[in-house]
Amino acid sequence: MASVRSHENIEMMTYSEVLGVSGYVGNFKVKIGKKPRYVNEDKCTGCGVCRDKCPIKVNNEFDVGLGIRKAIYTPFPQAVPNIPVIDKEHCTYFLKGKCRACEKFCEAKAIDFEQKERITEVDVGSIIVTTGFDSFDPTPMTAYGYGRYPNVYTGLEFERMSNASGPTNGKIVLKDGSTPKNVAILHCMGSRDKNYHEYCSRVCCMYSLKFSHIIREKIPDAYIYQMYIDMRCFGKGYEEFYNRLQEERVRFIRGRAGEVSDIAEKPDEVGKLIVLCEDTLIGRQRRIPVDMVILSTAIEPRSDVSAVAKLFSLSRTADGFFLEKHPKLDPVATNTDGVFIAGCCQGPKDIPDTVAQASAAAARVLSVISKGKVEIEATTSIVDDKLCSGCKTCIDLCPYKAITFEEAKKIAAINEALCKGCGTCAAACPAGAIVSKHFTTEQILAQVEGVLI
Amino acid sequence: MSFEPKIVGFLCNWCSYAGADLAGTSRKKYAPNVRVVRVMCSGRVDPTFVVKAFQSGADGVLVCG
Repeated sequence: MASVRSHENIEMMTYSEVLGVSGYVGNFKVKIGKKPRYVNEDKCTGCGVCRDKCPIKVNNEFDVGLGIRKAIYTPFPQAVPNIPVIDKEHCTYFLKGKCRACEKFCEAKAIDFEQKERITEVDVGSIIVTTGFDSFDPTPMTAYGYGRYPNVYTGLEFERMSNASGPTNGKIVLKDGSTPKNVAILHCMGSRDKNYHEYCSRVCCMYSLKFSHIIREKIPDAYIYQMYIDMRCFGKGYEEFYNRLQEERVRFIRGRAGEVSDIAEKPDEVGKLIVLCEDTLIGRQRRIPVDMVILSTAIEPRSDVSAVAKLFSLSRTADGFFLEKHPKLDPVATNTDGVFIAGCCQGPKDIPDTVAQASAAAARVLSVISKGKVEIEATTSIVDDKLCSGCKTCIDLCPYKAITFEEAKKIAAINEALCKGCGTCAAACPAGAIVSKHFTTEQILAQVEGVLI
Repeated sequence: MSFEPKIVGFLCNWCSYAGADLAGTSRKKYAPNVRVVRVMCSGRVDPTFVVKAFQSGADGVLVCG
């Protein structure tokens, strides 16, 4: 990220939001709102004294609730730029009008409570949307006890816990501070499940294996169980990693876990979480008492996906992810020319696939730039100047906003770069002044006659 | 002989026509009563197309999109 920021041809706008997109391929106008961070970026040196002096402690979103942060903070240690932001919802000054501790201690005089949202407009030729994903919240799956039992974690929570710079400094601990002796990792939480997401999230098998490896490394004598439907180790070197984990004494149980319970039926289950599952390889129901349960949660579309789709005129598939132009032949382009997609906003995928798709999207953009020209659709609509009465019916109907009203001639004009040739205008034109190329009224009527012979 | 209706289907290029195409590539069978006319969007379908279809002997018209 740091090298991207320092690249002379890249302008990185963090803490900013796209508010509006207009125009068409080669000629987009993008309105971007830069939110106020209440810290002057030119003056701030990133020393962090404001963070230390701030008296307000809040749940750290980056640690998914396991750690704390201050009301003035940088979201995570490697954040670029290394400039803090003030959380307006929790800052005492914004809530009660007093405090200003950060301002007092800032040697660079960088704190600026008067900052306002700045709106800029940029002209761009192409757009790549890489808005990522949300992690599935397993709270509605009440059978697994997430939120009810303290030692049931999601994959992301465990990831933060196992991170050396995370809330526990990389120590794997239960809520009472002790080290777990038995850990169960439950696959497919929210994926491959008709009640939630039917698709496979693709990454969970591999991160579950990684978790097992980390647990084995940090707690050598731990019992590790994985309850899986199918192991999907599809990538380069992945199957080998699975084999290695089997040698590392991880117990693989083929069968999705049905329930996590704390009701003990046997003495060795007292005080433990019991994972109930069917082991389909031995054909038997099993009760496995463990100290910690990790739910390998699904990848799902971001909560604001419909707003983003509308903003960039993107279509979505039934599962909510952005729709590519063609699943095999054009996986990075979209039905809106000049707008490309990459990463998990297009569908669940792992890091190598994301990097490959992002590189492809960048290459597609570069090919448009180096050509200097844009090829447009052959099927567009054209207005017959002589017949157009200027009624403006077509202008409101056009889904691509390709039609404008030419005041000088009092007729409608179609922008061929924007027109996708849907022909709605041609069907609606009361004067019959619009011709949809390759789908003219005569052609379609001839086809109707043809199919009925 | 049982009645076999003739149905003219105006199918959108992006969804229903693609769906009919997919049925073909997936080797799925469907009744041959629907005779497909591809349009770039169901919005292209002018009411006169429907009238013309009935006039030319269609028993039903399907607009998909």
